[in-house]
Amino acid sequence: MRGFSGFLAYRLFRTLVALWLVSTVVFVVMRLSGDPVPLLLPPDAPISEMERVRHDLGLDRSLAVQYGVFLGNVIHGDFGRSIHFRQPAMAVARSYLEATFELGLVAFTIALVVAFPLGVISAVKRNSFLDHAAMGLALVGQSAPTFFIGILLILTLSLRLDLFPTSGRGDWRNLVLPALTLGAFTMASIARITRSAVLEVLRADFVRTARAKGVTELWVVAKHTLRNAALPILTITGLQFGTLLGGAVVTETVFAWPGIGRLAIQSIYNRDYPVVQSTVFIAAVLFIAINLVLDVLYGILDPRARA
Amino acid sequence: MLDQGRQADPPTVEALLNAFERGAVSRRDFFRRAGLLGLTVAGASALADAAAPARASAQTTQKRELVIAQGGDISKFDPHFSTSSNDIRVSFNIFDNLTSRHPDQKLYPALATEWKATGPTTWTFKLRQGVKWHNGDPFTSADAKFSLERTFDPAAKTMVATVFTTIDRIEAPDPYTLVIQTKKSDPLLPDRLAFYGGQIVPKKYVEAVGPDAFNDKPVGTGPIRLASWTKDDKAVLEAFGDYWGGKIDVDRILWRPIPETAPRVAALLKGEVDAITQLPSDHWDRVNQNATTRGAGALYAGLYVLGINAKVTPLNNELVRKAMALAVDREAIVKEMYGGRGVVPNGPIAQGDRFYDASLPPLRYDPKEARELVKKSGYKGEPIVIETTIGYVAQDKAMSEAIVGMWKDVGLTGAAVEVVEYSVRAEKNRNRTFKGLWWSDPTSTLRDPDGMMWRLLAPNGPQDYFRDPEWDELGNAARFSLDEKFRGEAYRKMTKIMLDKAFGWVIIMQPYEDYGLQKFVDFTPNPNQQFEVRRFNLKLRRA
Repeated sequence: MRGFSGFLAYRLFRTLVALWLVSTVVFVVMRLSGDPVPLLLPPDAPISEMERVRHDLGLDRSLAVQYGVFLGNVIHGDFGRSIHFRQPAMAVARSYLEATFELGLVAFTIALVVAFPLGVISAVKRNSFLDHAAMGLALVGQSAPTFFIGILLILTLSLRLDLFPTSGRGDWRNLVLPALTLGAFTMASIARITRSAVLEVLRADFVRTARAKGVTELWVVAKHTLRNAALPILTITGLQFGTLLGGAVVTETVFAWPGIGRLAIQSIYNRDYPVVQSTVFIAAVLFIAINLVLDVLYGILDPRARA
Repeated sequence: MLDQGRQADPPTVEALLNAFERGAVSRRDFFRRAGLLGLTVAGASALADAAAPARASAQTTQKRELVIAQGGDISKFDPHFSTSSNDIRVSFNIFDNLTSRHPDQKLYPALATEWKATGPTTWTFKLRQGVKWHNGDPFTSADAKFSLERTFDPAAKTMVATVFTTIDRIEAPDPYTLVIQTKKSDPLLPDRLAFYGGQIVPKKYVEAVGPDAFNDKPVGTGPIRLASWTKDDKAVLEAFGDYWGGKIDVDRILWRPIPETAPRVAALLKGEVDAITQLPSDHWDRVNQNATTRGAGALYAGLYVLGINAKVTPLNNELVRKAMALAVDREAIVKEMYGGRGVVPNGPIAQGDRFYDASLPPLRYDPKEARELVKKSGYKGEPIVIETTIGYVAQDKAMSEAIVGMWKDVGLTGAAVEVVEYSVRAEKNRNRTFKGLWWSDPTSTLRDPDGMMWRLLAPNGPQDYFRDPEWDELGNAARFSLDEKFRGEAYRKMTKIMLDKAFGWVIIMQPYEDYGLQKFVDFTPNPNQQFEVRRFNLKLRRA
């Protein structure tokens, strides 16, 4: 039997391979997608100027040479210099992380705190008005575009009702609207998954037995079902993390939130290869780490998954 | 008796009250018109008093901090490494130039107090004394010489290396005199010094800390200096107390990027920001109708044009090009798509530029003649493609679709729109691989046709797709001539050639660049996109 440390070592090895693959793909795709130099110079700059700047940035060397230099630097933790900012690329990317974490964590927490009880109640009080209302809202949350939800919240809760600021980062009030916008899809998904999971478990034999024994409804739900419903919810958490990263781009743009999603998309438009590389690397590391934690949690919660 | 120049009297009490709250109607006028609408003095008085706080608070402030929101964030503070409008709005305030173009578009002394052409290829500048850098060092001619030479120094690798290509040699015979020798006569040197590339940087400090540290902690002579910057969040700039032009009217300016239009306008309407740039025409009324805000615009120092790749068929056919120009209903575009926030040009020289000829009529719309030209041209339905961006030029995609419709109406059945991403456009621009037409918003950097028409369409220039020998000869002669009359005549002829042969650009319109402001901000926009915060242009109305 491999044991826990064997398990970790194997995962670490897979992580390194994944990171290397991701970095290489991004490297090649970015350099094939276009040239950052025309974006740096005024539009009337002559071709000779563009050639000179390409050379100064080392972009006129062959792809293989550039890749070799890149790998060599990455091993030392050097992701190169941002073409757009003229500052170290990884430092630029890291400076955006705090804002993204703040928003992502708050969005996810709100989503969980609101959606989980809502899902449970909807399942327990199936086909009631509350159930239908909650599931209707969930449908909207999953189908309405993030952009639309964000602007709508700004126009109603901020402009019309003056409850929150319109955009930007500041104190807790600045977090509410972007967190609601970012978390809308997750909230909806968790509510629906929770409801289904709870419904399924409620039908199970051991629950009928507990009911027959006279245990109260709430206690039945709490003790016997939640642990089992937790598994599907964990799965969705891992998947939602990816969506949160992607949805963050739109939310961050609408609310002028200085997060890494916005940096990533701007860097792609600017063809700022080193920063794109850095943001993708960070996202890959985070994604892999979250999934590792989830796998460990699975192992704890469900002995069947430890095989 | 009604004044002809005044707004028509508001038809209802409510409209009158709105106008009064906005400050569009004076208190005296309010009473007069209220009386005409049937209100008693007591009634009008009660209404006026109720409106007074909103009116007063909208008009004045005690703020010591100004918050400005623009559509994109700053990328660099070193003025020689970026020409992006999001950067130059700030860098023109951290740094001074030798000459300064104010919103009235005239050149004023800045770090140079006087300048004269002291020879056919010599300009002599007297420099301002007593100017301090943000770090306390004194400004001298050594800084000016270093700064200008830095722009074209190959070792410095700046992004503005082509701005001062007319300069041969710079001398600093004493601390407050600068002598610039040009390769040929350059009547436009003072104009060149006023725009990007001409921001003056400190020799001692830059040489001591190097370009990277200079970019992180810039030092200039301008009215504001950098206190802190969080990317994509905000940049905090403090007023420089020792500024030679007088400390600005606030203690601090915050620059915030709000890329989406709706939140940016919302922030202004709510009072979270005091000024916004890039106010699209469809929000103009909203900002003006709001009690506490107003729109302010300047006619952009440039044009919106479609560049023509005259090397591809059928754009190499002069009759086809002329038909394309005649088929565009520019007035409709300005009226319907921009709510009137623009003018129809009369040629390739922008209104406000030197040698703009007001006697020329606006570019003609004549679909009938266009149709005839299409028939005469032998056009066989070949594709005429506009490769448009989305949002690079305001409403570019919508304009493209409208214009293609207009071309199809006159028989150019192959007209079509394709969307490309901005960086793809930049690459096609560099490689000259456009399929047909593309959007360009050339800025008249010198407020002179040399800085726009010539800069872009000259031989080996960035939009060199067509050559006319007479046009080239005139352009070359005009740029090096010190004779105003000769220059004027040359550009007049060049305009005629350009319009007769319909090469270079399909000229569409000259837009207003609009800003949104809180009413207590007294500020005049500058047609060349510099956001001028110095005392002579920016003040807050205080109670």
